[in-house]
Order: sequence, then C-alpha cells, then structure tokens
Amino acid sequence: MPTTESSVPIVSASEVPTVSAAQMADVDRLAIEDFGITLLQMMEQAGSHLAEVVHLELGGDLTDHVVIVAVGPGNNGGGGLVAARHLANRGARVRVVLSRPALRMTKAGQHQLATLIAMGTSCCVATFDLADDELRDALAGADMIVDAILGYRLHGAPRGEEERLIGFVVGARRPVVSLDVPSGMDPDTGEASGSAVQARATLTLALPKPGLLTVEGAGRSGRLYLGDLGLPAPIYTALGVDAGLPFASGRLVLLDRGA
Amino acid sequence: MTTSASARTFTEKIGLLSEVALFAGLSDADLQAIGHATTMTHCARGQQILSPDDPPDRIHIIKKGRVRAYRMTPDGKQLTLDIFEKGTILGDMSLLGQSRLPEAYAEAIDDGVICTITPDQLRRLIERYPIVGVNIIRHLAARLQGAERELEAMAYQRVDQRLARRLIDLAERFGISTARGTLIQARLTQQELAEMIGTTRETLAHTLSDFRRAGLLDVARHQVTIRNAERLAQMADGE
Repeated sequence: MPTTESSVPIVSASEVPTVSAAQMADVDRLAIEDFGITLLQMMEQAGSHLAEVVHLELGGDLTDHVVIVAVGPGNNGGGGLVAARHLANRGARVRVVLSRPALRMTKAGQHQLATLIAMGTSCCVATFDLADDELRDALAGADMIVDAILGYRLHGAPRGEEERLIGFVVGARRPVVSLDVPSGMDPDTGEASGSAVQARATLTLALPKPGLLTVEGAGRSGRLYLGDLGLPAPIYTALGVDAGLPFASGRLVLLDRGA
Repeated sequence: MTTSASARTFTEKIGLLSEVALFAGLSDADLQAIGHATTMTHCARGQQILSPDDPPDRIHIIKKGRVRAYRMTPDGKQLTLDIFEKGTILGDMSLLGQSRLPEAYAEAIDDGVICTITPDQLRRLIERYPIVGVNIIRHLAARLQGAERELEAMAYQRVDQRLARRLIDLAERFGISTARGTLIQARLTQQELAEMIGTTRETLAHTLSDFRRAGLLDVARHQVTIRNAERLAQMADGE
C-alpha cells in the first residue's frame, strides 16, 4: 500500500542545530581523517536516503516512474549516482545525465558510475552525448528530477557545465528533489546569485545548513528532509556543536520549519 | 609519391615534431632520427583515432585539435569519458605507470594532427635521449596539476578569473615575447576560448572587452597579446 510523507517522523527544525558550510567541511574532514569513515560509506548513506525521499515524493510508488538524475562532478553527484542505483533497483526508469565527462568526476563518483554502467543504467554526458533538444525532451518527460549537481561547498554563482545543466533542470519545470541544498543556492544564506534549482523537496545530510531555514532558502528548497550519515557523535563534540539526537525517531526525518 | 614530395612531407613532420613538448630540447639531427620512428597523421573532425579493437601497441600524442574519449554503454549509447587537448598523450602508457582506458574509443572533435609511436620505440628514445624521459615527467606532472585546478575553477570561479587563468596557461605554452607584450601564438576563435573556460561566446566577448579596456591585453586576428601579465595573474587569483 502506498505510503505518504506522514510515515516519516517529523522533528521541529528549532530543536536541531544548523552547521555552516565551513563547519560541515570540518565534519567531513574529521569523519575521514580521525574516524576512518570513507567517502563511499557516506555516499551510500546519502544516496539511499535520497532514493527514499524520491519514493516518498512520488507518493510511495516508484514502479515505471521516469526519474532523471542530474549529476555534477563532485561528491554530491556521487550521492546522486548511488540514488540512481537504488531507484533502478526499486523499479523506477532511471536515466543519469552528467554535467561533465565521466573522468572529470571525483574518484568516489567514478566508482559509483562504474557500478551503474555495469548494471546497465542509462548514463550520458550533457553537451557531448546528448543534443540539447534531446536533453530538454528527456527532462520534460520526467516524473521526477533528482538534483545532485552542486552541494554545500558552492559559494557564488554556479559556472560552466554545472550552470548549464542547472539551466536545463530549471527550464523543465518538473518536480525536483535536491540533494543537500538546491544547486545554485548558497548553503549559509539561502540566497542564489545566479541560476538555482527550485526544489519540491530537499534532502539535507547530517545536520541542516542555515540557508535552508531562511525565508528565501525555505522557499527554494521545499519540504526539508534530514538524513543520517551515521557519523560518530564525538565529531560534533570536537567542533563544539551540540547535535542532540535528531535521528532518535528514525534515520530519515522531516524537518518542520514552523510558521 | 615523388622524392621531393617525400622530402617535403618529412621536413613538415620534423617541423611538427619540434613543436611536440615531449621532444623539446633535442637537436635537429636527433629530431630527424625520431622522425623515422614516428608517424604523423592528419585527421578530420569525427575521425576515429582509437578503438578497443586496436592492438595495444600505439601511443598517440595530440599535436593539433581536440579529441573526445568515450565508451559504449550496455544500452548501446556513447558515454564521454574525457576531452583531451593538444599535448595530451593517449594510448597504452604502461611504460609510465598509466594504463590505457579500458574499452575506450577516441575521435577527433576538430581537424587535427596526431603523432603516433610504439611503446618500444618510445622506450628506445628515452634510453638514447634522456631529455625525452624528463619531458614526459614534466608533462604528466603538469597534467595532474592542471586537472585538479580546472575542476575547482570551472565550478567555483568567476568567468574573468577563469579567462585570466586560461590566458596565463596559454601564454606559458604558446607565448612569445614581443615589443607589445606576450603574444599567444595560437589562433583561437572566441567560441573555442569560451568552450575552454565553460562559458558562452557572448560572455567571453564581453569579458575580453573589459580586459582590453583595462589595458590587460590586445586582440587582433584571433591572437591575444598579454600587455599586463602581473595584473592578469592577480585577477586569476581572484584579487
């Protein structure tokens, strides 16, 4: 029986601390350097939550739904590729569109891409493998677009091939689920100084970024989910952040921003 | 082919070889010896250069033009792996600890010139001319550094920063000193330059005009002369 988002525990955003982009970069660094968590581990967590959010946003049924996953060259894109694998396994008709040639992705992203290719999921690079009209048509026919183009490390307006792919996603006017922050949105302020995705829902990871809670950021990011990356709690203590227990009721929660 | 035509072709080949970074620092006599060991091929846009079916015994150096490497996915479509520019070495580089891209095809994006050599010939050249080995190390180090810098620049830097950075790179590779400044000896259309830095031709034209008005450079007949390298370097660093 289809479920709805109401099956996800709801947590008040006011009870969960935020971490700035700079703090989140420290969280990632400590996780890897001091606790031996690998990028692939984190990517797997992010991508599996992301697939679940797409499932929820499509009314609890992925079967034969067309999902286009728009992927940037960084680790945010890698999370999108993991989601593509889970979505395909769960019955969605998935197509992956990369902003850059495959070997321009991070190593962890290339690893995920190799798995997708081996399992026969359709993957191509915008501009080089897909004519612009074809890309426009594909996006216009999607039941859902997953935005994994740029993550929390963006400051300033997006550029180059990423700006181009964001433009196509925005132009498609189809529902979008964004990973971590809508691509093009400043994670700290919620502002967009150039092209930016308008999401129906956003899955942010570990702890929310402050920009998602501003008026502008809330409008741009839509329903806000928070996904657990399983990071060791002492990381937050080391950084002086009182993280509390945001995932006590579930590893994927819906953040209620209040009125 | 007549003898004089062969001689002309060989002279042209030596001229092209002298511009390959790998063979920098060699005398004309050495270049002539290398000329006999290499093949220089003119290829047309869209022409296939590498295929997984090729015997794994060729190294290709892009002398002119750009090359797109791709592989076929199980659904029969092409997936672009990378875009390579002039100076890139393609093929089986196990000699240098770099393996050939598995199942990769490569095709010319532009009309170009490719220099081909076998790993055995290259090994013999390195033994006879150690400077070739030094040049290879320099080439690979620069490629690694360039790839990391470019990835960061494309996503996060402004167009003027990226243009300044790219012009400095081009000046280092193709620049000659003139009375007016450093002339970049590469004819580039605005479209090509725009594609290199991931922007539109219109934005590039606008940024070039800004640079010209600020006295940073001159543009004439598709060639750029850098007039204020110091200021351009500051712009590339975002200052």
